[in-house]
Amino acid sequence: METKIINKQDLAKLIDGLISAGARTVAPVKVGQMHLFQEVRSPAEAVFDYFLARRSPKEFLFPQTEPIFSYTRQKDSVKIHPVDMAFPRTVVFGLRPCDAAGPGILDALFAWDYEDKFWFNRREQTAFVSMTCAQADHACFCSSVGLSPDAADTGADLHLTLLDDGQRYFVEAPTGKGKKLVSEFPSLFKPATDSDAAARGSAGEKAKGLITRKLDLSNVKQWLGSHFTDELWERLSAKCIGCGACAFECPTCHCFDFQDEATPEGGVRCKNWDSCCIDNFTLHASGHNPRNIQHKRYRQRIMHKFKYYIDKFGKTLCTGCGRCSRQCPVTLDIAEVLENIAAKAASGS
Amino acid sequence: MNSNGNQNIYQPKLIRVIDKIQETPDVFTFKWRFVDEKENEAFDFKVGQFGEFTVFGEGESTFDICNSPTQKEYNEFCCRVVGKVTKALSKVEPGETLGFRGPYGGSFPVDKYKGSNMLFISGGIALPPVRCVIDYCLAKRSDYAGLTILYGARTVDDLVYKYMLKDWGSRPDVKLVTTVDPGGETPDWKGEVGFVPAILEKMNPSRENTYVVLIGPPIMIKISMQVLGKLGFDPGRIYTSLENKMKCGVGKCGRCNVGNVYVCKDGPVFTYSEILALPQEDI
Amino acid sequence: MSEYDNISNEIRELAAKLLARGEVDVVIGYKPTALPGRTQPAFAYKPEDAREFVFNPLCVSGLPLYLTKAKPEISAKDRIAIVAKGCDVKNIVALQRENQIRREKIKVIGVVCKGVVGKYGRCDGKTEPKPEDLDEKCRYCDVNTPRDYDYLIGEKIESSPQSKEKEFEEINRIEKLSPRERWKFWEEHFKRCIKCYACSKVCPLCYCNRCIVDKTMPRWIDPSSHARGNLAWNIIRAQHLAGRCTGCGECERSCPMDIPLMLLNKKLERESEELFGYRSGYNPHDPIPLAVFREEDDDEFVR
Repeated sequence: METKIINKQDLAKLIDGLISAGARTVAPVKVGQMHLFQEVRSPAEAVFDYFLARRSPKEFLFPQTEPIFSYTRQKDSVKIHPVDMAFPRTVVFGLRPCDAAGPGILDALFAWDYEDKFWFNRREQTAFVSMTCAQADHACFCSSVGLSPDAADTGADLHLTLLDDGQRYFVEAPTGKGKKLVSEFPSLFKPATDSDAAARGSAGEKAKGLITRKLDLSNVKQWLGSHFTDELWERLSAKCIGCGACAFECPTCHCFDFQDEATPEGGVRCKNWDSCCIDNFTLHASGHNPRNIQHKRYRQRIMHKFKYYIDKFGKTLCTGCGRCSRQCPVTLDIAEVLENIAAKAASGS
Repeated sequence: MNSNGNQNIYQPKLIRVIDKIQETPDVFTFKWRFVDEKENEAFDFKVGQFGEFTVFGEGESTFDICNSPTQKEYNEFCCRVVGKVTKALSKVEPGETLGFRGPYGGSFPVDKYKGSNMLFISGGIALPPVRCVIDYCLAKRSDYAGLTILYGARTVDDLVYKYMLKDWGSRPDVKLVTTVDPGGETPDWKGEVGFVPAILEKMNPSRENTYVVLIGPPIMIKISMQVLGKLGFDPGRIYTSLENKMKCGVGKCGRCNVGNVYVCKDGPVFTYSEILALPQEDI
Repeated sequence: MSEYDNISNEIRELAAKLLARGEVDVVIGYKPTALPGRTQPAFAYKPEDAREFVFNPLCVSGLPLYLTKAKPEISAKDRIAIVAKGCDVKNIVALQRENQIRREKIKVIGVVCKGVVGKYGRCDGKTEPKPEDLDEKCRYCDVNTPRDYDYLIGEKIESSPQSKEKEFEEINRIEKLSPRERWKFWEEHFKRCIKCYACSKVCPLCYCNRCIVDKTMPRWIDPSSHARGNLAWNIIRAQHLAGRCTGCGECERSCPMDIPLMLLNKKLERESEELFGYRSGYNPHDPIPLAVFREEDDDEFVR
């Protein structure tokens, strides 16, 4: 893997350079008490000494609301106006390795026989720059789903690790897109020495030590396969209130809805985020709803992430970022649910 | 790999309604062709596939293409008025433009059925998705052995495709049994009176060299399955089509996901043994 | 043993007793979670389940939401006991006032509360939060000792809420802004709305079986998360709570995008009090202002 060093000033210059080059440049920005990924107009807006953005960066490939076409109509005729599916070059800075893992997990779904060009055209135009974690909390469990708070190769094009001098980032370029980014601004990236590589290694170890939550998911999928009906579901998820906070912050939740917004003369159809935990997700027009009670809806969330998606696409639909647990209004901690499942699986019940 | 090039898979093509038939007080059939003639020539689909139909300004809904692909002049879908889109459809008249995406989903293995007896069992608004198979078998009549159709509705009024029933009933190479729920009959009703599963049991069809296509309301399916089980039918030879709520039709939006399948892409046609492997509560 | 350990023990003992005697089918309370600084709602169906119950300043969730529509698993139980702080009791009173619950079926385990931790406050759960760590609503609390209960746990205390000026400081500031500045203020906040509906789902008084946002014939609120749809949602929700909101602050706490929803709710709360002398959640027999006609009501707006 190509490795380099970039110092803090040069990182600012890189952001500046991309902005000048006309790229949509996104970074964590402080908004009230939170950090959110937002387009920045200057490097000064970007905040890299932070924990985790409140919303995952999936919105840069899959916006919450996206017009998919518009139309005008007269009595007997309709004209469809396609939307522009060419997207601007975008570079997103400051993801954590768990965030960077999201897109690679979802590619399989969006490419399954039919390619969602909204996703892939954006994907092609977007580069992700991740950073080794400096903070973690007890909702974090990335290392239990095969990731790591310092992993360079979870999906980012460049990965930065702040070395212990607090001034220089060790740069890894796991993808061609990342290498291109380096070659586009050659003067900003300096060669990395062996001692830099060693310093990066120890910074990585320090980051790994931040993860206190360790789950054993080895038997979870198997248990889920034979326990669609189990007392656990109601016991653990009866308290779920059925909002979309977990899904909408999740880097891997991909369910969506179509909604038309129209007047008699015309309108637009939007593709909007949706969530299996919301009560009308599976409500038929006839009034029939197979998932007619909340714990069945929450069960779908767990089943989809930790069984169905693995069976279908070979990947766990979770990066262990912990956003769903942290933001749940009633503290429905996904790690607690998985711990309970793992315990049941281990005890054979 | 992908079958759509750089196309927007969520953008419909325009179709025109060329005829509308009121089947029952709340069920309508729409005959349609693409607005662009080239599309009509290029269009092909398999028996049992579905489409996403747009009423512009209202939304999009999922309906089966309920004619056989052997019928080339136009295509059909049929719907009952239950929600926003179907309510708007009830007001759509011939000449108006709708949107169509498809054909999507899997199909009935009509080639595998060749040389076998076919038993079609359906109730209420579920005759249209069965009818595409019936029509196909009739169009290729010599490929199939006996054709038996059992169709029931709550009342005589609720029977759809009355004109087709008349046609099928008059054919010597089709055995048609129609029934209405007790109390749903009229003085001149000549068919059976009773629930579909009860009539099925009375008919006592042979399982020998027979495939079953069974589509109807969940309760009808459930009890009919018990009857077919009693009669010794193999669930692997019973086919049905699931009607989960769908949005995208192409396996992305997650809405129709049940167990390990995305009904829109892995289905909607399943054998009953495949259905039994899914979490029943979620269907 | 700390004060909170004693309260927790009393709750456990009472809950276990109520369940053992068959007086209730379920007790709704709080239990610990692995996440520091948090607790979670819990349901005890058997006496032994009650062993998990705790009460401390991390018990921020309002439990009365489980008494209504949203939670048929719980609310369908015939006899329910619920652990309730003073603010939670206000919601129970409001639900009683709106005929959503039958008070005689519910046993309220009132808990004297000295305040819970704020969304960004720090608290170990063993002692009271420092004043700066208190939740905003607790600074103005006048119901530290619940106004209605079947059992009371903890020593009764007098409330000493901060002044109204302080409570409405930010609202007064926003009211003085020009309409354009006010618009900009709300636009900035609402543009973050992700339409997750946590505000509504967590609200005990948002109990409609079918929310207006789900109604499609006609479509009242654009479901998409854009400026128009977000504005419509947040304003209509605030209006539906006008004169009803008890100020529990659960919507603002639950909002993953930190939209200051309580500014809207409190503004309407003040209007309701000034215009009609009505404060929701205080008396189950007060006439509801928006459901009552009085000849002397201001009808200036009818033209």
